[in-house]
This record gives sequence, C-alpha cells and structure tokens, in this order.
Amino acid sequence: MRQTRVLLADDHTLIRAGLRLVVEQRPEFAVVGEASDGREAVTLAQSLRPDVVVMDIGMPGLNGIEACLQIRGSLPDTQVVMLSMHSDEGYVLRALKAGARAYLLKDSAEADLASAIRAASEGKSFFSPAVGKVLLEDYMRTLQRTGAEDSYELLSPREREILQLVAEGKSSKEIAALLNLSVYTVETHRAHVMQKLNLRGVPELILYAVRKGIIS
Amino acid sequence: MKTSSEESNRTASPDPDWPSRRLRWVLLGAFLGLLGLILISGAAASRSLKRMQQQEQLARRDVADRTGNLSGLYLSIEVYNEAIQRYAACPGGKPDPVVRQQVDRLTADIGSQLNRYPPDRQPEEAAFLQAILDQFTRHRDLYASILVLGPQELQGREQSLINDQILSMRSQFLESSGQLRAWNNQQFRRTDETLLAQFGRLQSSLTESLSIALGAGLLLALASMAYMVRLERQTRGRYRELAHSRLELERLSSRLVDVQEAERRSISRELHDEVGQSLGALLVELGSLSTNLPLDRIRIKERLANMKSVAERTVGTVRDIALLLRPSMLDDLGLIAALEWQGREVSRRSEMEVTVESEDVSEDLPDEYKICVYRLVQEALNNAVRHAQARSARVRVVQNQSGIAIEVSDNGCGFQPERARGLGILGMEERVKRLGGTLTVDSAPGRGSAIKAELPLPPSAGKPS
Repeated sequence: MRQTRVLLADDHTLIRAGLRLVVEQRPEFAVVGEASDGREAVTLAQSLRPDVVVMDIGMPGLNGIEACLQIRGSLPDTQVVMLSMHSDEGYVLRALKAGARAYLLKDSAEADLASAIRAASEGKSFFSPAVGKVLLEDYMRTLQRTGAEDSYELLSPREREILQLVAEGKSSKEIAALLNLSVYTVETHRAHVMQKLNLRGVPELILYAVRKGIIS
Repeated sequence: MKTSSEESNRTASPDPDWPSRRLRWVLLGAFLGLLGLILISGAAASRSLKRMQQQEQLARRDVADRTGNLSGLYLSIEVYNEAIQRYAACPGGKPDPVVRQQVDRLTADIGSQLNRYPPDRQPEEAAFLQAILDQFTRHRDLYASILVLGPQELQGREQSLINDQILSMRSQFLESSGQLRAWNNQQFRRTDETLLAQFGRLQSSLTESLSIALGAGLLLALASMAYMVRLERQTRGRYRELAHSRLELERLSSRLVDVQEAERRSISRELHDEVGQSLGALLVELGSLSTNLPLDRIRIKERLANMKSVAERTVGTVRDIALLLRPSMLDDLGLIAALEWQGREVSRRSEMEVTVESEDVSEDLPDEYKICVYRLVQEALNNAVRHAQARSARVRVVQNQSGIAIEVSDNGCGFQPERARGLGILGMEERVKRLGGTLTVDSAPGRGSAIKAELPLPPSAGKPS
C-alpha cells in the first residue's frame, strides 16, 4: 500500500512533535518533513512534493494562508489541511479561498487529524464538527435577528444534490457522470445554486455547505 | 520617585512669584483713601463756602440795617431841627401848638430810633452813638429852654438862637452821623476783606488737597499698572508653561498608546506562543495517551478525559485573553476580515447584531492604522452593547484618496456627547488624534449614536484596493 506523505508546518516545536506522534501512529501515513514557518513550508513542499501539508494558520513571517496559496498555486496535487484555533467563518473562508481542503481546530486536532488527512488526500473536504456548529449558529442567529429567510428553502432537490457534490470537491464532469446528466446541465444547476444563495465562488459554497451541515 | 516628590513640593509651598494677597489689599486701601480724601476736602470746601456766604449776607444785612437806621435818625433829627427852627422863628412870637406837638412826637421818634439801633455795637460805634445821643440831649435841653421862653423873651433872640445854637448843633450832629456812616462803611469793607482773605485761604487749601489727590491718584495708577504688568507677565509665563505641559502630555499619551499596544502584543504573543502552545501540546499528548491505552482501562481513560477538558477550558481562556490583547486576526486576515470577525464575535456574545460594510479598503495599511481602526470599532461596539443596549449596529469603513473614514452607528438609547465623555471616547480620540485624524460623536438621548472618524493617510500608505 502506498503511504500518504505528510509535511508538518507549525512554528511550535511541541505542537509539531504532538502532530508527528498522532500521524505516525497510522501506518498508512508517513511524515516526510517539518517546517517551522510559512516560508520554509513552501520551500520544503516544493522540494518534497508531499501529498498533504498540515499547516498552522498563524505563523510568523509568511502565515499559513499565504503559504497555502503559494503551495496550491505551484503544486495542484498537494492538498492542505489547515490547523487553526478559530472556528470563525472569516478564517474558514480565508482558508478555503487559499485552496485548503480541510479545516481543523487545534483543540480537536488529535481526534480528527487522521480523518482530515485521509479526506484531503482523496480530494475531499473535511471540517472539525465544532466549526460547522459555530457557522450554523452564526447563520441561524443572523437569520433570526434580521428576519431574513433561509435561502436553502429556495433550492430544488436536484440543486441541493449538486450543491452537496460541489461542496464535496467534485468537478462538474464527475457530477455529470454520477448523475447521468450533461456537463452543461450540471453547470446550469450550479449557476442557479450560486445565484439563489447569493454566493461568489466555490469557497463560499463550501462554507455554506459546512454551515448547513451538508458536508462535514 | 523623584519627579513625583518634586511635584508635590511645588504644590505644597506657595509660589514665590505669585503676588501676595497683601499687595492687593494695600492697593485697595490706597484707592479707598484717595476717594476719602477727595470726598472730605470737597465737603469741607463746600461747608466753608456756605459759611462765607452766610457771613457776607449777615454783614450786608447788618450794614443795611445800620445805614437805614442812621438815615432815619438823620432825617428825624433834620425834621426836628427844622421844627425847632420854625418854632423859634415863628412870627409874632406866638409858638404854634401844632409845631410843638410835632416836635414832641419827633423827640419820641428819635429816642425810639436810637434804641432800635442794632444792639451789637462796637466800642467806637457806641461812642459815635453816644455822641449823637449827647447832641440830641443838648438839643432837647435847648428846645426845653426855648419852650419855657415867653413870646416876648423869644422876640428878637430867635435869629441869634438859630445862628449860634441850632445851626451849630445841627452841623455837629451832621458831622457825628457822617462819621458813624463812614465808620459803618469802613466796617463793611473790613468784613468784605476778611471774607476775601477766607476765600483765598479756602482756594489755596482746595488747590492743595486737589494736588495731593492728583499725586496720590497718579501713584496709585502707576502702582496698579505695575501690578497688572506683573500679573500679565506671570499669566503669560503660566500659559506658556501650560501649553508646554499639554504638548508634553499629548506626546506622553501618544507614547502611552504605542507602549500599551507593544506591551499587549508581546504579552499576547507570550501567552499564545508559550502557554497556548504548551497547552496544545499537552492536549495532543493526552489524546494520544488515551487512544493508546487498552480499552479496558476505563478509570484511567475517564481521568484523562477530565484532564483534557480542564486543559481545553484553559486553552479557551488563554486564547480569549490573547485575542483581547492583540487581535491576531489583524495579522492573519487583514483589517476588514478582522472587523467582520469582531462584528460576529459581538453578535455571538450579545443581543446586538452587527453588520460590517467596507469599500476599497487596502489590505496593506500600516499596522498603526489597522490597530487604530480596529480598537476604535471595538470600543464603539463595546459601548453600544454595554451602555446603549443597542439591538443593532453598523460598521462602515471607506477608503478614498485622502484617507479612511470610519463610522460606527447603533440604534441604542444614545447619550449626551458633551456630558458623557467617558474614558472610552477619550481613548478613541487619543488614538485618532495621534494619526492626525478627527473624531466626532453624534448622539442624543433616545436617538442612537454615531461615532465617526477620519484618518488621513500618509502618501506612502496603502492605496485603495
């Protein structure tokens, strides 16, 4: 079995050691390197070409978001698992926009890291359960206080299906094959979803899906 | 501390430069004295003038009285003489009884006139009067001697009587009364002269007191002027000192903001890097320990779970404190995302819903601008929740060519900006002023509030994105 090659990037030695401990417990994972800041992470990623980079969002010099953006820009096959202390949507959206596949709270890193690395390596999204909860709470509260309507109700069953598949990281071509539709039809549905939910881009769509508990 | 003890010394001992309270009282006393002098001399002058006027009137009346009296006397004696003469020269030697009666009446008149002469007589005057009285007595005697003469005896003697006795007596009397009149006139002149002399004295004394008052007034004016000049100089000095210390204070408080931010940042980093990461590592260790334990060690697993939850709570607390000290969102996400985060955070923790809007705000603003805007919004939202009980608030940040405009408005209960300038607003003002900006607070009770700030941007700072 081919091992998943993992690069760890965190400015704190203790955390890196803890992460390594967790990763190396799984035989299917191998830690190929450690970086202590964003710049080093980018350099190492380019030389080692890992499958997954586990990256702290707040690092001195080049922060995790910038580093993720650079890695995803130059290495499309390398996925990024973002580690963060914040469950706020500002962070989640930033990480998603930078191209991260998984977003993990440090509090629960130990429990969810393996699942997150696995999901990311398969090109799927993964979010700490607590993140989805906070996003949903924020969403519901705003709806309630502003008296707005939940736009999810506007979607047709087919659109909801496509929303979920897009959020899970599938391309329009994959979705078309899966649902026995033409790529063009999938694209149309996708555009409708974006319009009805007032979303700009896939990261916002993923965030929405996480918020609604459609994916986790 | 040295400075503080110096400060307290200065406030404790009276300032040697400060003009003493005594000087003020002296000036006031001198002024009152001057006024008194003018008042007293004026009153005295008016009193003496009045007295002199009275004296003059008295003297005039006196002279008029005497002259009138004398004239009457003179006239009566003339008529009397005439009558005697006529009586003596009566033709046929038969004295007319009518003339005789007239002579009798005139005699009584003259006596009473002499008695009516003002009684306050001077010795000389009295002497003149006595002389007149004597002459008159002699007249009467003569008259009596004439009256006893029979017509025959009178016959032939009347001419000699008239020439020798009556005329000579008359001329004597004229002389005496002329002397008395002259004396009277002279007396009047003397009184006049005395009054004139008194007037002269009054004039000179008035001149004297007036010049004293003038001199004293001049001195007083000079002293007051000097006092004022001194006060003015002191005030100017004090003002300069005040302006200087205000500048100093501004510099100090601006530095204070810097130092405070730097300190907060370093404590926050320390908390995050050391405490937070150690706790994080501890959590990871605890978790892996728990997973690696055989499934039957339930008691130990429970205790490990307890330890983990304690550590997790501590991590949460440390994170909150660190975030309060230095919002790492500013570094991780940039200004607008950090403001949005802040808005959601406030919405989560309170009953107030916050919306954040922004236009063209550059992500590479200098850190001091980012922190200023962030702290301003933080404080304003804080106030809106805590003091205004607002239900919703709006944050709007707009950047243009000249600078950044920030507005935080809420629908809370509002306040009176002039009266309730709490430390929060002062702090905001301080931060904004430090960057050369202006802060305006627009609020009234029952009308919500809007806090607006304009920050000019240095030309090198981030351009609108």
